[in-house]
Amino acid sequence: MENGQKILIIDDEEVVLDSCTEILQGSDYEITTATDGGRGLKLVQEFRPDLVFVDLKMPGISGFEVLEKIREHDSTVVTIVITGYATVSSAVEAMKKGAYDFLPKPFTPDEFRLITRRGLEKRTLVLETMALRRERELLRENFAAIVSHELKGPLSAVQQNMFVLEQELAGTASEDQKRRLDRMKTRIKDLLQLVDRWLRGMSVDIEAMKENYQPLAVSSAIEKAVESVLPQAVRKDIEIVTSVEESAGQVMGDEGALTEALVNVLGNAVKYSPTESKVSIAWERKDNQVVISVSDTGVGISEEDLPFIFNGLYRAKSAEGAESGLGVGLAISRRIIEAHDGSISVQSKLGEGSTFVITLPAIEG
Amino acid sequence: MSERKRLLIVDDDPDFVEGIRAILEGADYETDVAYNPKDGFQALKRRAYDLLLLDIMMGRGAEGIMMARKIRKDPELKELPVLIITGIREQIAFLFPGKGVHPGYVPVDEFVEKPVEPEHLLERVRSLLDAAATRKGKASR
Repeated sequence: MENGQKILIIDDEEVVLDSCTEILQGSDYEITTATDGGRGLKLVQEFRPDLVFVDLKMPGISGFEVLEKIREHDSTVVTIVITGYATVSSAVEAMKKGAYDFLPKPFTPDEFRLITRRGLEKRTLVLETMALRRERELLRENFAAIVSHELKGPLSAVQQNMFVLEQELAGTASEDQKRRLDRMKTRIKDLLQLVDRWLRGMSVDIEAMKENYQPLAVSSAIEKAVESVLPQAVRKDIEIVTSVEESAGQVMGDEGALTEALVNVLGNAVKYSPTESKVSIAWERKDNQVVISVSDTGVGISEEDLPFIFNGLYRAKSAEGAESGLGVGLAISRRIIEAHDGSISVQSKLGEGSTFVITLPAIEG
Repeated sequence: MSERKRLLIVDDDPDFVEGIRAILEGADYETDVAYNPKDGFQALKRRAYDLLLLDIMMGRGAEGIMMARKIRKDPELKELPVLIITGIREQIAFLFPGKGVHPGYVPVDEFVEKPVEPEHLLERVRSLLDAAATRKGKASR
């Protein structure tokens, strides 16, 4: 990055251009000069400098205007103003417009070398920051694919061998052994589905999803969500009680996504409830909204934890000792519900249970 | 016609391969394995196979897709039935933004998802082999 960086100097005094060029002679920099703003700006586009020195006091286009144009063209180009007055006020004004530093005339060769090096270092940093930002964005986009491969790969291999083992032992395994195999298969299947759900929630393109919104019955999404968490509930001997008002109505949305949002909320209710308890889900029409509430008598959420539970990768302290699991699910639910112009909120008391309330705008039909 | 069918599995996960290989051999298929597309291609050139089972995510990325495309362009191999076995579905958005994988993008005959139930795998394999036999029968008539 240090080598071959490009410097453009714009100044109407040829003597300044010559001396600057001379001072940097023998360095690795590539230097070009312009005697007025118009030519300078043309070079900004053609020569693509990393660092531009701009004289503030020039005939024709003013230094300030040049600075602004450079910024418009490429805000990552580092600019340093040369000012004959050495007045702090004009230099400050220029730096407000985005100049990185200023160089008062007259200057010594050392001063010029130093400010050049600093300017180029700044440019390197700016470019590196941009590259990192791009990389981070790319990582987020590819996260789903990477996680998919890294997490699901091993799980698939285990499950595939489990299938074979089950076949191979079919005639000889005892009932107990078969149950054990079943249990292992079920848990791996759950885990694979969990990975899928999280990936979909995190990588789903909300805008693309909105284009495919259709009128759908809330009850249908709820039924599917209940069906999905039922195995976990049965395992803990938890009863899921549903109560519906017949005319709860329809909403505009993506059924798969809404079901997923509900599965996360319902799944949490089951996860944090004691065995042999009840989880209830009720929905009704209130004015022009569909209101869905999910209640449990589980561990509850403490007041201090409440504000954070929809923020992702958050697991309430009070949940320690209960089943493990990070709170990604609720963040995904919120993302989905907000994409449907709805809202999700929670009321909870530690040790007594929680009630999640989801509201969605209803449509007639 | 009672000759055993020979299948080639190309997948970079030996543990997974072990899982499907056992199922296929249990159903009386002969199987060979290559753990990367390069070896897979060499195997296909060395001898004739009745079906290819191909993973997508191998090596540095979606190399299975490149391999499928290369096979479809190869005059000797383009009739080979290809069954993709993959762990990725819609999550493959980075390859085809916003779209799931389907035969419109990857020129293969069918997809199954990892892990695959033995019955489902065998059924897919059988139907692809049958379809290929029918094609061949028509061509020779």
